[in-house]
Amino acid sequence: MSDKKVATSPDDRTVIGITFGNSNSSVAHTVDDKAEVIANEDGDRQIPTILSYVDGEEYYGQQAKNFLVRNPKNTAAYFRDFLGKDFKSIDPTHNHASAHPEDANGAVTFTVKDKEGEDAEPSKLSVDEVAARFFRRLVGSASDYLGKKITSAVITVPTNFSDKQKSALIAAATAADVEVLQLISEPVAAALAYDARPDTEVKDKIVVVADLGGTRSDVTVLASRSGMYTVLATAHDYEFHGAALDKVLMDHFAKEFLKKNPKSDPRENARSLAKLKLESESTKKALSIGANASFSVESLADGIDFASTINRLRYEMIARGVFEGITRLVSSVIKKAGLDVLDIDEVILSGGTSHTPRIASNLAAVFPESTAIQSPSTSATAVNPSELQARGAALQASLIEMYEAEDIDQSTHAAVTTVPHITNAIGVVSRSPSGEDVFIPIVQPETAVPTRRTVFVPAPKDGGDVLVRIVEGNTHIKVTQPAPKAAAANGGSRAAKVEDADDSDADESDSEEEEDDDEEKREKVWKIGATVAEAAIRGVKKGGKVEVTINVNADLSVIVTTREVGGKGGVRGVISA
Amino acid sequence: MISTLTIPALPEGWAAEKDFKPIGKITKDHATQRTIEPVGPHFLAHARRARHKRTFSEDDR
Ligand SMILES: Nc1ncnc2c1ncn2[C@@H]1O[C@H](COP(=O)(O)OP(=O)(O)OP(=O)(O)O)[C@@H](O)[C@H]1O
Ligand SMILES: [Mg+2]
Repeated sequence: MSDKKVATSPDDRTVIGITFGNSNSSVAHTVDDKAEVIANEDGDRQIPTILSYVDGEEYYGQQAKNFLVRNPKNTAAYFRDFLGKDFKSIDPTHNHASAHPEDANGAVTFTVKDKEGEDAEPSKLSVDEVAARFFRRLVGSASDYLGKKITSAVITVPTNFSDKQKSALIAAATAADVEVLQLISEPVAAALAYDARPDTEVKDKIVVVADLGGTRSDVTVLASRSGMYTVLATAHDYEFHGAALDKVLMDHFAKEFLKKNPKSDPRENARSLAKLKLESESTKKALSIGANASFSVESLADGIDFASTINRLRYEMIARGVFEGITRLVSSVIKKAGLDVLDIDEVILSGGTSHTPRIASNLAAVFPESTAIQSPSTSATAVNPSELQARGAALQASLIEMYEAEDIDQSTHAAVTTVPHITNAIGVVSRSPSGEDVFIPIVQPETAVPTRRTVFVPAPKDGGDVLVRIVEGNTHIKVTQPAPKAAAANGGSRAAKVEDADDSDADESDSEEEEDDDEEKREKVWKIGATVAEAAIRGVKKGGKVEVTINVNADLSVIVTTREVGGKGGVRGVISA
Repeated sequence: MISTLTIPALPEGWAAEKDFKPIGKITKDHATQRTIEPVGPHFLAHARRARHKRTFSEDDR
């Protein structure tokens, strides 16, 4: 069944992008090449990945989520990661308060009463069936919105989804009558959503995508070279996520409630617990925007209503452990990629939990100022982190919608995608005003070949004959310790300051300076490596410029072409592999 | 930054056939086999070149 795909001819397609998470799903399409997330009939753009059955009626999304309070047994939630897995290898942690996953000869199933009538037999639904039914609803409401039947989709998947999980996902979509054009990686979809914005220039950069969801956090380091992405390292965590933050607030409000009602712990009764969780999540979301948020539940436990408030500072204090776990996760994956924070040009915060201001500011503190932190609280131009993956998927869908299924298969085949990436940079040696040799990168490390790149470098003021020396290069982190001499000088000035101690303003600025001096300085510097080739350009005009183009071929042979900008001829040479 | 840096003058006595001197090589040791994500417009251009065995300059035309 997994091999059976619906193939639609390109002319008959209506395409969308889908992100299908354990917590939420989302659908986007493109209008004039811009991605837009589609709201469902409830007005939701983040649609809880939940199905619930009440009196034979099927509910999905937020309505199904609300039934976690009154009808948890017939509500299937947090099942995405079970697709394509044996029962033995799943983690049912998040299914305690809804239908429990069961073992049916190794397959994961849920038993829910999905038919009308008091004595109707409950059904055993495989996770594949649950996913297919959810897809049908998700895509159905997007079709209603667009006013035409959606035929095809690009769907995002985590970077650690196995082939088995991928085919189970394709099968579920197929069963819901959706042609899967392509599965793409979640972090890559997020990166594409940023890079495809109009007026965004293609730049070589190292990007960290921190996808912080409800039941997992996934971090990826990407090399972005000429607009193409290569995954350098990934990390997956199932401890520090949105649900952990809900738990922090649940415990906080449960304790508050217990202070007034010592005999009723809302965590000890399933229904109270479900209410506590739903409201804690709302309070958490409100704390992403406001400095204060309220918490209010009717009949929280034993018929007692409860209302309270919490401010953001307090929340950030009690949730510190989770926030720190996320920061550690991000640091660990950079290390795994063999990189330093100074190598990271951009951090994209993706996933619902990325709305949390403190998570973004903690990350901003880890990276140098030159690193762009893309999150709502740190950048005015940030894209809604909850929408990134669906938008990226929709953009990809619109790029390939006119391709035959066979063409897509061939283009995504390993023969096309798996290629050598150079480990060192290739660049040209220039001279600084003080006479030092300085490396100018032309092709950055981790660039896939074949590739072609050009730089322009000025000739000396008076022109003349110049040397184009092509070399390999790489970076290292230069650490400068605070100079002891400077400290002594500072000590002297501090002693002087003590004498006019009443000048408190001066004192303050003095101590700030000291702090700066105490810190070691870390910077990324290029080191010139082995020479690859040399070329001469003769008779460059006064104020002239030299153009250097490097072509690295698939077999790692290199073609160097260099000439004076605007000049005739120039030099072309080949370095064999 | 690049604007303050200049291409150095040709050292006295430098000579090479056609003014080009190959010296080193980029070898397999200087490359890692990795997978480009098949996503985005620039990848599609890469795939087109790869499948039709076209070079960058042929692709430009
Ligand atoms: N504004 C917000 N502030 C803080 N947290 C938020 C906000 N919006 C959503 N969240 C949280 O984000 C999480 C859901 O993230 P997302 O929508 O990315 O889900 P997902 O990818 O399906 O998650 P997963 O697969 O990890 O369970 C939930 O814990 C939710 O409470
Ligand atoms: Mg997710």
